[in-house]
Amino acid sequence: MSEVAVLQLMGLCVVGTGILILLFLKAVFVRVLGFVIIMLGIFTLIALGVPQMASLPPAVETFDIASVKTPDDLASIGQKIFFSKGQCALCHSIGPSESARCPELAGIGAKLAPEFIYESLTQPQAYVYLDFRHDGLPEEYPARMPHINKNPIALSEQEIYSVIAFLQKMSGEPISIKVEDVLNIDVGEMKVASLVGHGGN
Amino acid sequence: MKNHDTLKLQSWLPKVKASSLSGWSVFLAFLLLPAFVWAQDAATLAMQVEYRDVPGIGSRNLIWIVAQQHLLLAGFVLGVPIFAWICEIVGWKTNEPRYDKLAKEFTKLLTSAYATTALFGGILLFLLIGLYPKLMAYLSDIFFPSFIAYSILFLLETATLYLYWYGWDVMQGKKKVFHLFLGFLLNLFALGIMMIPNSWATFQASPVVVTDGTAIERAWAAMQNPTWWPVNIHRFIANIVLGGFICGAYAGVRYLQAVTKEERERYDWMGYVGNFIGVFGMLPLPFAGYWLMREVYQYNQQMGITLMGGFLAWLFILQAMLIGVLFLGANYYFWMGITYRVPGVAESYKKPILAMLIVLMVSLAVWMTPHSLVASLQEARQMGGTHHPLLGVFGVMSAKMTVANLMILVTFISFLMYWRAGKQETAAWAKIAKAVMGALLVIAGLAVIVLGVWGYFVPAIIRINYFSVAQVLIVLFIMVTFTPLTALLMKSAKTTTEMIWGQMPVRAGYTLVSNAVMVILLMSLMGYARSSSRVHWHIYGVMRDTSEYAYSPALGYAAAFMSLNTFVFCMIVAFIFWVATMGDKATQGTEHGQPEDSPVKIPGGVAPAIAGGSPREGQTFVNPVPMNKNEDT
Amino acid sequence: MKGPLFNSAVVLAGIYVFLKFILPLFTAPLPASLIFLYLALTFSALMIFYTMSGESLESFMGPVQRFLTGEGQTGVANIARVLVFIVFPLLVGWQTYTKLAPSDDPPPESRTIHPAPPGEFVGLANPYPKNNQTIQEGKGIYASNCSPCHGENFDGKGIAAVGFNPPPANFADSGTIAQLQESYLFWRIKKGGVGLPIEGMPWKSAMPRWENELSDEKIWKVIIGEFDGAHQSPRTWEEEE
Repeated sequence: MSEVAVLQLMGLCVVGTGILILLFLKAVFVRVLGFVIIMLGIFTLIALGVPQMASLPPAVETFDIASVKTPDDLASIGQKIFFSKGQCALCHSIGPSESARCPELAGIGAKLAPEFIYESLTQPQAYVYLDFRHDGLPEEYPARMPHINKNPIALSEQEIYSVIAFLQKMSGEPISIKVEDVLNIDVGEMKVASLVGHGGN
Repeated sequence: MKNHDTLKLQSWLPKVKASSLSGWSVFLAFLLLPAFVWAQDAATLAMQVEYRDVPGIGSRNLIWIVAQQHLLLAGFVLGVPIFAWICEIVGWKTNEPRYDKLAKEFTKLLTSAYATTALFGGILLFLLIGLYPKLMAYLSDIFFPSFIAYSILFLLETATLYLYWYGWDVMQGKKKVFHLFLGFLLNLFALGIMMIPNSWATFQASPVVVTDGTAIERAWAAMQNPTWWPVNIHRFIANIVLGGFICGAYAGVRYLQAVTKEERERYDWMGYVGNFIGVFGMLPLPFAGYWLMREVYQYNQQMGITLMGGFLAWLFILQAMLIGVLFLGANYYFWMGITYRVPGVAESYKKPILAMLIVLMVSLAVWMTPHSLVASLQEARQMGGTHHPLLGVFGVMSAKMTVANLMILVTFISFLMYWRAGKQETAAWAKIAKAVMGALLVIAGLAVIVLGVWGYFVPAIIRINYFSVAQVLIVLFIMVTFTPLTALLMKSAKTTTEMIWGQMPVRAGYTLVSNAVMVILLMSLMGYARSSSRVHWHIYGVMRDTSEYAYSPALGYAAAFMSLNTFVFCMIVAFIFWVATMGDKATQGTEHGQPEDSPVKIPGGVAPAIAGGSPREGQTFVNPVPMNKNEDT
Repeated sequence: MKGPLFNSAVVLAGIYVFLKFILPLFTAPLPASLIFLYLALTFSALMIFYTMSGESLESFMGPVQRFLTGEGQTGVANIARVLVFIVFPLLVGWQTYTKLAPSDDPPPESRTIHPAPPGEFVGLANPYPKNNQTIQEGKGIYASNCSPCHGENFDGKGIAAVGFNPPPANFADSGTIAQLQESYLFWRIKKGGVGLPIEGMPWKSAMPRWENELSDEKIWKVIIGEFDGAHQSPRTWEEEE
């Protein structure tokens, strides 16, 4: 029997029990209980009657550090970090957006040198961007840029370079981050392996 | 004291991270043992165990049950003081002892309910620490200062509750004002206690970037996430509804069990008060829900679509069904009140009731018509897809908003009708006032419908920002202006038919129980919606759920859990009521009810709205005849 | 015998006839699930109305009760009662059988038409302004790529649309693109039917994934053209000036 059929059977049994109680028992409290379980049973049966659909999580992509061969591999890891662990997309969008709280990043990899992006990520207050997209004086953006290499986001060096690689690729710029350099960064442990999909080890 | 605490905290937090404990932390650990264990987890375990499982039931399901029980109990514990406090004020204002007695009776429940809530909170905390250490470490890293604030509020709440309850009889007369102030404080602290955990939950759903800064700054930044306030308001109102309807259900059960005439009258009246407060809270609730959904959409389109159009879309059809049953139940109870409590008027109200019932049913039919229909292959071919060319227009938000507003309006009219049943206005301006009110109601109804239809032809943003808001404002305007106006009219009204308590049929008792069950089910359902809208994220877009329970179960499976949770909660509440009223039997003769056959005094003014009728100032009526007990058993 | 019970039966039958036979004269027939829902609502309304007072309850339930218990029944009524007791279980059995019997029909589907987009596509906005030039460009791209299915009039009735299940979206309908943000359309055009999540049943949609044929720029422009051609405007969170 399928899981739905089992649950339907249970629901029917519950409703049946409730009906039996209402038919044959006199004690008020028990009758009220019978009434309650009939309602709950019917609710469950109705919920079992609508289309059943579980929402499966997308596959966790594991990443083997040895598999990074090309800058594109690096950029695809960077893309994942951009939209998950790095939390960049909480504020930034790629392309103009109404809900973005901070500057949009379309073409940023072509506009800025990787060193400058690195500095913006690790020392965000070194150069503060203001919002000019309106009349009057420029304003600060509603959200302040956190230090990406510190808690709570705490991306490793390798992760930050992956993100920069992604930003460059997205802007149609040749990726200037070198794979060997990134792989040679001494992190003590294989942090990169655990970053994508959050510890899908 | 508090300032001192927070000052210390800033220097203290990093030390905990380094696992070195200062004297202060020992003191605080005493204060806050569970959270302290939690915080230490952050330091040592963060990188080790991510998940633990419970064999058999599974860690997610266990958390589901315990968290739901804790939340429902918390809703009860927060809703009942609001309910009791309102009753106490009414009793104080009107000098009517039965309100005070009712308030006290429900406050008595609090002491045991409070302990049970804390118990489930403790179990939940231990389970979360044990089963989801990675997530807990992350959250406690961000929110630790709020744990301290939470604990302090909890201490204050506990102290206030004891003062409020044990000081009840002492603080009567002149000291009553102070007691009412205590009740205010109790609700204020309770609000804080609700809001802080709300921020943890809403942060999971709509996280904001936490910049570095002091621990307090970070916690504060995280608390102020986009859905925090909508959830606060929504839950606050929902708690009032829960408190009211649970009171109603309790009265319903006691009414069914009642043997003597006084008991029947008392519990009939109590059921009315509970239902009244429940409905009172329920009317603005959809507006709060709408605001919350709007914030969710604005925060993240993906999450909004998951909820409203994606895999949870059918959940909202179920929600519409439950809300429909709840609205119908509340109206049914009002209508039965007219029929049974005001003898002789039933015939003249039959037509308006039928009209209102039809409006309610048509509204419900529109609300429950899904956007994507379930259709067989052949049916789908005939329709040209799963959208019906004609009824498809009912599937979108504009239609749902319109009918929700109409249902609220109808329920409000039911309430007005009940209030005025058996009365004859004597004021000279009554005729004009009634004509104006009638015209306004018609205009309001039409305006809501016109705005709803017009909403199809304007851009979504215009509809959301202006049309929907206008609909809400129209309905709110009607409610806010009509209530005092009717109160004024009723003050000088002549009673043609006395209201009789204790005559309601057995069905009424079951209706009250059904209303309470619907509210609890709705809370469970929407809890599931809130939680599963995050899909496979612990913290949306930040921390992914990598456990084997990252999937969201299908609706039928989830509904089985909701039903189980509802049943367990009902049993817990029944147990709490049973424990709290155990001692009453012994003292029943002297303490409960009015002395037999003595006239009951009902004053005029605001209170009658709650008392379910408004005879003139100082008017009395004599106890009614007992009803036929076995009517439909 | 007549009275509430009779009225209820008439109302139920009337609504059934209306939904099943009269309404389809003007529009597409209603699916059975919807008819059932409306009848269930009507039934509960009748129950509520007739249980409002003691008398109406009696006149509603009394005949049913007397009929079923056989109280004071003779002759035809009694035979009818026995028949009901025989036929009713058979009906239930038949219903159960037809529900469970194997059939060639695919199970009723409930495809989520607008499932949630993946995170990467949320919050994007159209980088191109809406002006005559972009509209014309977009409509041009539309005419050469989209109109065979979605129709020259943006109504989902292109010459190639026939035979597709589900049919191509009708953009002129206020329930389709008018409910969506531009980023959503960008996702659907770029990734096509196969890019749908599981609740959208990616195996059913015939929408091609256009990312290989059309550049991002062209996709954004075709979106502008689509909205203009269908006389709809996208869902936004900010008002247009």
